[in-house]
Amino acid sequence: MNKNKEQLLNKRYKAEQRFRLYGLSAIFMALLFLTIFIFKIFSTGYSAFQKTWFIVPVTFDAELMMLDQNPSKEDLQDADYYDIALKSMADLDPNANEDQENELKRMVSYFFEKEIKNELLNDPNLIGKTKEVYLTASDDLDQVFKGNYPRDLPEDQRRVSDYQLKIFDQLVANGKVESKFNISFFTNADSREAELAGIASSFMGSIFSILVCLMIAFPVAVLAAIYLEEFAPKNRFTDFIEVNINNLAAVPSIVFGLLGLGILLAIFQLPRSTPLVGGITLSLMTLPTIIIAARASLKAVPPSIREAALAMGASRMQTTMHHTVPLSMPGTLSGTIIGLAQALGETAPLILIGMVAFVNTIPGSPMDPAASLPVQIYIWAESAERGFVEKVSACIMVLLGFLIIMNLFAQIIRHKFEKKWS
Amino acid sequence: MIKIKAKDVDVFYGKKQALFNISLDIEENQVTALIGPSGCGKSTFLRCLNRMNDVIDICSVKGEILINDFNINDKSCDVVRLREKIGMVFQKPNPFPKTLYENVSYGPTIHGMAQSKQEMDEIVETSLKKAALWEEVKDRLHEPGTGLSGGQQQRLCIARAISVRPEVILMDEPCSALDPIATAQIEELIDELKKEHTIIIVTHSMAQAARVSQNTGFFHLGQLIEHGSTDKIFKNPDNKKTQDYITGRFG
Repeated sequence: MNKNKEQLLNKRYKAEQRFRLYGLSAIFMALLFLTIFIFKIFSTGYSAFQKTWFIVPVTFDAELMMLDQNPSKEDLQDADYYDIALKSMADLDPNANEDQENELKRMVSYFFEKEIKNELLNDPNLIGKTKEVYLTASDDLDQVFKGNYPRDLPEDQRRVSDYQLKIFDQLVANGKVESKFNISFFTNADSREAELAGIASSFMGSIFSILVCLMIAFPVAVLAAIYLEEFAPKNRFTDFIEVNINNLAAVPSIVFGLLGLGILLAIFQLPRSTPLVGGITLSLMTLPTIIIAARASLKAVPPSIREAALAMGASRMQTTMHHTVPLSMPGTLSGTIIGLAQALGETAPLILIGMVAFVNTIPGSPMDPAASLPVQIYIWAESAERGFVEKVSACIMVLLGFLIIMNLFAQIIRHKFEKKWS
Repeated sequence: MIKIKAKDVDVFYGKKQALFNISLDIEENQVTALIGPSGCGKSTFLRCLNRMNDVIDICSVKGEILINDFNINDKSCDVVRLREKIGMVFQKPNPFPKTLYENVSYGPTIHGMAQSKQEMDEIVETSLKKAALWEEVKDRLHEPGTGLSGGQQQRLCIARAISVRPEVILMDEPCSALDPIATAQIEELIDELKKEHTIIIVTHSMAQAARVSQNTGFFHLGQLIEHGSTDKIFKNPDNKKTQDYITGRFG
């Protein structure tokens, strides 16, 4: 008998130990996946925050630029920079033939003419002088410098020629290639050229979409939650509404995209590809999330508080507005932020309403066409050029950073403003 | 003088009847205790007097309850005005999670009882003094009310209830969550408050009923078995059940 009991006890201890082990290994697995995922993104993406520049001596030859004596500001604006730009690249190799000069030109971004122009506009005294100017390297050479480019491929399978590599190596040896923080990744809109593409348009697009979404979803959801929780009678009809709100939360997001396409664009003729339409579509998705969070936090306000207010002679409305709603706000707000964070990462509905279009301008309002961060990831991931690979990861990093900040904010609100009940 | 007159009050929770035919007169400026075993309907009856049962969807009240000869179950009765006249203190202290000052000034604010900040300060001070809390908290009026001890919280709730100068104060087992010292303080307070207010107190403790009340009503299974002066109920009850309950044979 005694022995039997001991056996049972042992068995129980062992079962508990096993269970702990399972739990630990589950957590370990989750952490492992997360680490691999983050490591992969960071190791691919970090180089996108660096940009490669060539330092090229440029001679601001007034004759080549077709400038008169003492040119005015307008003259400088209208001057012809293409020739001096071309010449300064060709001068990198004095012995270059015409084909090779063309190849030299393609070593920098097609934007190089503007970069030279900006240099002169900043300092008009440069006319007739020579100055070393920073020119953006082409995306392929940018990748070569970052070590992401397979140089050992046969030449006909490479986008970079042996000649370009030779000149490039000379420039590196002379210290004329420099890597600097890539500001244009944050200030430029999307571009077909990887070295110029940035997230400004999609970032602003995301911000505008989220703002539109917040302005629509928050008031509607909070009012709905307050009515359902505090005023609505409990009957079949309200049960039916409750079930359907939960259903709405489970609807796949692409369906909301179709709704936006079919109703907002086709019937109401709102401008397509805009954060306005994107925000409205996302607000439909966010609505049930906020309603559910707001109702849960209204429910969490102890009934004794409502009774106290009612017994003081407060009307139902006063009880709700003076006590219940303020007390439920922290929970509601953190639910809202989490809902918005979900909306921020949503791609499918935005693709359907046209926010997948190539937008190379930065939107100034929700009525301007824009992309959004997740859609930008999708667009770049589809691009063939090697330069976009790191951009995809970098964009994911920005999006993740954004999401982490929002969730952190939600946590802070919840912990800081949550009331302790007596 | 009779302040509240209940006539044939029936209360139903859905189909279940919780109170049967209660008729009870409550004397002005006296303490009336309602006693009885758990679930006997004494709290339900108390909540009829300021129509707090309205909050419960499935609850319906029949019969007449006359306060100052006005039937509060009548359609013309406005619950907001009614609850201004009839304050309530609950079983568990339930101060608002706001400052002490805001707790006490809430009632006067929503009923527009103070014209100026100064008047409001006075109301808050007198209410807290009457609730015997002023000396303990006068230096921290702007700290949260939930930071007080249980007994202090309950006295804060009493101060909140009397801030609107109600004619009647309903107390639903106000001491059940408190320790003996805090209970003694509240009982002393009740004795003081009855000079200006009519008090009805629901209690589980027969000793408490005997100590604080002048009249007692004994409820059992939704019926008012017996009511009368506390002396009579405790010393010489008419009903056998009352006798058994008071001597501790059941309940």
